Amino acid sequence: MWGKGILNGMRITMRNMLRGPITVRYPYERVTLPERARWAVEVVRDESGAHKCTACMTCVRACPDHILDLQFTTAEDKSKHIDYLRYEMGACMMCGLCVEACPFDALKMGQDYELAKLTRDELTVDLLVDVAAAAPARAKKASEVPAGGTDDSRGGGTDG
Amino acid sequence: MSPELASLLRILAAVGLMLMNGVILIYMLRRVLGRLHQRLGPVHVGPQGLLQTPMDVLKLLTKEDITPTNVDKALYFIAPAAVFTPSLMAYAAIPFSPTWMVTDLDTGLLYTLVVMSLVSMGLLMAGWASANKWSLIGGMRSVGQHIAYEIPLLLSVLPVVMYVGTLNLSSIVEAQSGTWLGILPQWFITNPLFWPAFIIFIVSALIKVNQTPFDMSEAESELVAGFATEYSSMKFGLFFLSEFSNSFIVSALAVTLFFGGWTLPFVPDEVLAPIAPVVFMLKVYVGIFVLMWIRGTLPRVRMDHLMQFAWKILIPAVLTWILVFGFIIKLFDLGRPVG
Repeated sequence: MWGKGILNGMRITMRNMLRGPITVRYPYERVTLPERARWAVEVVRDESGAHKCTACMTCVRACPDHILDLQFTTAEDKSKHIDYLRYEMGACMMCGLCVEACPFDALKMGQDYELAKLTRDELTVDLLVDVAAAAPARAKKASEVPAGGTDDSRGGGTDG
Repeated sequence: MSPELASLLRILAAVGLMLMNGVILIYMLRRVLGRLHQRLGPVHVGPQGLLQTPMDVLKLLTKEDITPTNVDKALYFIAPAAVFTPSLMAYAAIPFSPTWMVTDLDTGLLYTLVVMSLVSMGLLMAGWASANKWSLIGGMRSVGQHIAYEIPLLLSVLPVVMYVGTLNLSSIVEAQSGTWLGILPQWFITNPLFWPAFIIFIVSALIKVNQTPFDMSEAESELVAGFATEYSSMKFGLFFLSEFSNSFIVSALAVTLFFGGWTLPFVPDEVLAPIAPVVFMLKVYVGIFVLMWIRGTLPRVRMDHLMQFAWKILIPAVLTWILVFGFIIKLFDLGRPVG
């Protein structure tokens, strides 16, 4: 009443003005993203560059958009060989369900937010191509027999 | 110098001031609105984005001038001039300093307000000639609100006129020189008697500026661009320029009537004389900043609310205040007639 709301609004805008701009001048300045920012899906790799994917297909089933495509061949000794793990980035909604579903922590949400591409083909990303699948159980068994250690790490893929 | 040449130069000076003002005010508006929204405003073209507005002017000048097929050709061409010319004429009576003014009119205040009211005629012409329903609604709204708010605007300056006893703007400024008991400047705004008049003046003067909260005639979210919808290139530029010029005039009037024009307290006349125009311009720009601040804060009001507010509240209020004010200055003999 009596224009109190108007005065309050004027006070708020003046306060905002005195606070100064909060603009990030993007191409010149970049913010550091929070740790849990979710952008394109990436494969987790350890120091030696080895991945952890066992080709269990859990992520492919978890994806609500059906944009993950995993093809693998099983050898006679039941070891798996990944032909490709293909990811349709242009259709990804970055929900992170594949990362949550992965029982071997082989996937993560990346921090790269500059995802614009010049051609449509670039939007299809091959995360893994023609590599042997990780086999943590076999690696554990193999490491137990000669060394007798208790290495319980789930990593240790056989191929980078 | 022949008097014809002298008056021509004065008019040219007013045109130059108006054009320069337009360019500066557009830049200022962008920066101020940006800051009010915690943004930066233009930063890319030139240092601090200073060259953005000159570039925009170049763009407006070189843009294709489109005339839609079904417009009323004559009115369509006259309308921008009919809007621009009164805005230019309004500079005539504004006193920038004791000596700097286009002409010293005895009826300066009345002249300025009357000339300003001609702008809405041009806006209605533009709206009608465009053969476009948005434009027509915009023009109608513009005339409606201008007519409604002209009355409180004219009446709200009456207390000043009653107090000073003249319509001459320079005399009104001179009446405000000096201080109250050596503390407060003797501007009318420091006198509580003028506060109601000042509030009513500001509210109704905002209509003249044609900006939010009273930008009903443009109302881009409702009417595309209102009366300016069908205009492009420099024809649109003239509307734009007139709008910014109006905010300058409104601010200049407020400064002249209530904030002491080019006077400063505690400053002797010899010092003040050379810097008077600068003082005046600074005050005007502060006033324009407040207008932009209001623009950046308040949302647009509804048309029917706007009209109701004018006819049912503002006009009765200002009439009552004139009556009360008249009694007060007569009873206590407060008037200070000049000359």
